[in-house]
Amino acid sequence: MSTRQPDIVITTPPVARTSRWFVLQYRMAPYLFVSPFLILFLTFGAYPILKSLLLSFYATNGPKSAVFVGLQNFTFLLSDPDFHTAVWNTAVFAFWSVFLQLPLSLGLALLLNSVWVKGREILRLAFFSPNLLGQVFVGVLFSVLFIPQYGLVNRFLHAIVGIPLDTKWLANPNLVMPALVLTSLWMYVGFNMIYFLAALQAVDKDLYEAAIVDGANAWHQFWAVTLPGIKPVAVFVLVMSTIGSFQLFELPWIMLNNSSGPDQAGLTIVMYLYQTGFVTGDLGYASAVGWTLALGVLVISLLQMRVTGAWKGGTD
Amino acid sequence: MRFPYGPAALSMLVLSILSGLWLAFHPAKRPQATLVMWTFAKTHYDAYKQAIPTFEAKHPGVKVDLQLVSWQAVTSRLQAAFLSDLDVPDLVEVEISAAGSFFRGPLKDVGFLDLTDRIKQSGLYDRMVKARFAPYTSRGRIFGLPHDVHPVMLAYRRDLFEKLGINPNEIQTWDDFIRIGRKITIPGQRYMLELPDSESSRFDPLLFQRDGGYFDPQGNCIMDNEIAVQTMLFYVPLVAGPNRIASDLGGGQIFTKAVEDGYFLCMIAPDWRSKTIEVDVPKMRGKMALMPLPAVYPGGRRTSTWGGTMIGITKHCKKPDLAWELALHLYLNKEDLAQRFRDTNILPALKEAWNHPAYNEPRPYWSNQPLGKLYAELAPHVPFQYTSPFIATAKAKMSEALVSCVQYYKTYGDKGFEAFVRKRLKQSADEVRRLMRRNPY
Amino acid sequence: MRLLYRILRLLVNLFLLAFAVLTLTPMVWLVAATLKSPDDLFHYTFFAPRLSTYNFRDLFSTVPFHRYMINSIFVATTMVVIQLFFSSLAGFALAQYDFRGKKPIMILMLSTMMLPGQVMMAPLYELLYRLHLVDSYAGLIVPGAVSVFGIFLFRQSILQVTDELLHAARIDGCSEFRIYWDIVMPVSRPMIGAFCLISFMGTWNSFLWPQIILHNTDRFTLPIALNQLVGLYQQQYGTLMAGTFLSVLPVIILFMLLQKEFIAGLTAGAVKG
Repeated sequence: MSTRQPDIVITTPPVARTSRWFVLQYRMAPYLFVSPFLILFLTFGAYPILKSLLLSFYATNGPKSAVFVGLQNFTFLLSDPDFHTAVWNTAVFAFWSVFLQLPLSLGLALLLNSVWVKGREILRLAFFSPNLLGQVFVGVLFSVLFIPQYGLVNRFLHAIVGIPLDTKWLANPNLVMPALVLTSLWMYVGFNMIYFLAALQAVDKDLYEAAIVDGANAWHQFWAVTLPGIKPVAVFVLVMSTIGSFQLFELPWIMLNNSSGPDQAGLTIVMYLYQTGFVTGDLGYASAVGWTLALGVLVISLLQMRVTGAWKGGTD
Repeated sequence: MRFPYGPAALSMLVLSILSGLWLAFHPAKRPQATLVMWTFAKTHYDAYKQAIPTFEAKHPGVKVDLQLVSWQAVTSRLQAAFLSDLDVPDLVEVEISAAGSFFRGPLKDVGFLDLTDRIKQSGLYDRMVKARFAPYTSRGRIFGLPHDVHPVMLAYRRDLFEKLGINPNEIQTWDDFIRIGRKITIPGQRYMLELPDSESSRFDPLLFQRDGGYFDPQGNCIMDNEIAVQTMLFYVPLVAGPNRIASDLGGGQIFTKAVEDGYFLCMIAPDWRSKTIEVDVPKMRGKMALMPLPAVYPGGRRTSTWGGTMIGITKHCKKPDLAWELALHLYLNKEDLAQRFRDTNILPALKEAWNHPAYNEPRPYWSNQPLGKLYAELAPHVPFQYTSPFIATAKAKMSEALVSCVQYYKTYGDKGFEAFVRKRLKQSADEVRRLMRRNPY
Repeated sequence: MRLLYRILRLLVNLFLLAFAVLTLTPMVWLVAATLKSPDDLFHYTFFAPRLSTYNFRDLFSTVPFHRYMINSIFVATTMVVIQLFFSSLAGFALAQYDFRGKKPIMILMLSTMMLPGQVMMAPLYELLYRLHLVDSYAGLIVPGAVSVFGIFLFRQSILQVTDELLHAARIDGCSEFRIYWDIVMPVSRPMIGAFCLISFMGTWNSFLWPQIILHNTDRFTLPIALNQLVGLYQQQYGTLMAGTFLSVLPVIILFMLLQKEFIAGLTAGAVKG
């Protein structure tokens, strides 16, 4: 992030008018402007975060009673086969989100960025449009599209690749994840494409010309100019979509009719948190799950930034 | 000062104010009623809407607010209401597999009122089908009044049976059923029976038919005992593998089309579902009929049970006596029950109600069979089922086990199947037992 | 060579067109499904020859759908306006002033952006319970009244405003708030447009938090109302599709109005950052 940071803190306004009120309002302004944010943030952001750290050592029965259980929440969690299933499913989903969705988004962006394409604006809108629908609404829609025998997906795939018409996407444990990945592909390919496209358009055109002068073919240009040019955005998209994948909840919850699906095939970490924490009223356990998730996400995003070389440390 | 944020934000502000004003003039209903009652079944909701005015007329000044809450949401909303003391209803109807989860913790912390004394003193314990109190009993205390019996029969396409030359009277046992089923099944087009391979809702009735279950009366998990193993060994080849005779597609409009198309000929049909079939597949009027469930062995039990509802009074209720009267009004009034039976096909748990003429009426939809009489004859044989706070988990684990067994059978067939079933059921049961041990309350 | 070029060009265009059609198909199906009678729903793949308004009539007669719509509109627009004000104000302060505590605030914000929101859900619920905000619109709005993402967005765009402009205003005797209100905000219009849509979509589509906080059906927002509808009228696909269609319509309309700013705003942070 670009910043301008003068070394000295100015306390008088750089103007001729220096009535006491004017100086005062100038000095106080930034504090006043951030204070609503700060107050709300400390109350509804920082406090709950710290509180949840504490709460994760308690077993609770709703907000009214709590029993200290030490690390028991974490030990139970880590040895719970359901939690393992949830982590596995979420990781599989995240894997496909990264290795299927992002290359597809990048490919589309590259095609769309080529000089040959007609109607770029319209196409961009079309690709992006599914993202306007929230996960809940997409979930309801696709739970109907995926129904056996009469659903659109089965009719379409039956016609082109001959899958059986009565394929039960959402009732067959082996097909739940493919159905979720397909749906999220539909939702997010265009969304990520927008980022790649913007990055591609921001790459310096002179660099391509220099590369052509050096005799680089299209493939070399891609590796030598395009990829380095879009790298910051690519890392951003990578980290964001990984974090997003790890928070997957609504889509499977709605598509699988408010359940974790056959053989828990659609159980995700957040769903596990909701079911074990909120439905039974064990807020302490929910906090423990939440922190486990947070640590996992943090480690993975830092790793990704490390591997791609985008993390240099520091914040500003 | 002009508005600095531009037209988009301005329109948001205007919308916010307008909608805010509308909501200010139409505030969310605070229950004004004397008694608030939740039900999760649309059919019950419609029936009670008719029965409540007479109750209100009998008790001047009393107002009952009946609310329909979705089946998926009722458990979590009631749980949340209990936990936060907000919007707790006075009476609730709870589904049979959800009821157990409310009996967690010491008896004094159960959110429902203990109805044991009222039930025993009023003689209701003997006047209703005894088996139906079990699912609502915890540590010997009864927390709910049973709404129904839900005996199970087999609904079938009578016209197609005749066309294919099948005589329902020849089907006495499951072996008979399977033999005929194999003859008429055409994979992908026509199946003998509707049974899912991905969840256990119809596995349960077949388990109960054999006197199996999830928990014993003491609350121990028995879902991996020999009966469960045998049921699984029976069920899986029906829905998977080369000799499968059963399939399912889904509910509602898909179900409608599947029945109309003759995709499956028979359906497991408790009384409530016979109504669902009437409503969902109206075109099959006169082409459907009912027969008792095939027995496991000759002379064995020809029925089982699927589903159920209790009515409970919450401890939050300020007028428990009035609430109890309302419960009795809804569950015991013979004339109302008869009318409700005509509307919903549901056989009430109150035995003396069944001799009303309504239960003998021939039903044109079911080829003029006397539907009530058929179900009532089976009702005394309905098996017991016991519950536990962990019943919902146990059922979910059974579904998982079922799915794994189906997968195994699809891949490896009979080879090693029995050993796998035993191992898999034990694994599921052990997970339930592990959870039971953790419970800190 | 030229021919090859042309063929390739045609192929690329065809491919993109096919992909666009594939992407839009589910939405076309959705619109078609809302206009079919229950009998026609699965008989015709897309539009039936006879259009029917049955699904919409059924939707409004079985549930107070208009009320859910108004709840959603109220919560989402109120949230946008509040977030907009607080976030742009804080973004302005962080972009144009140097003051003690600025750096810690930035670090605090950045580090919470990395934390998934589910971490704080349980204690937040407990807090709102003690504040008697469970089952209220405020319980939905207040915890989300500031958007850290929004602050960064506004900080980024306000950094572009030159010092000279602010100097000139101060010489004219403008108070700092006036500068924010009359100078900085009007030049940040495109970002405001983008933010409005992003923030609106976020609240409009939010499910888990309302599901936890709201008890009274009269306060339900569209996502939870629709989910409840799935449970109650599972079998009525046409009605469900009508509800889904009406639920996504406002976002689509808003997007049509704001799409230019939106895409610019969406990518601004990432490309410049």
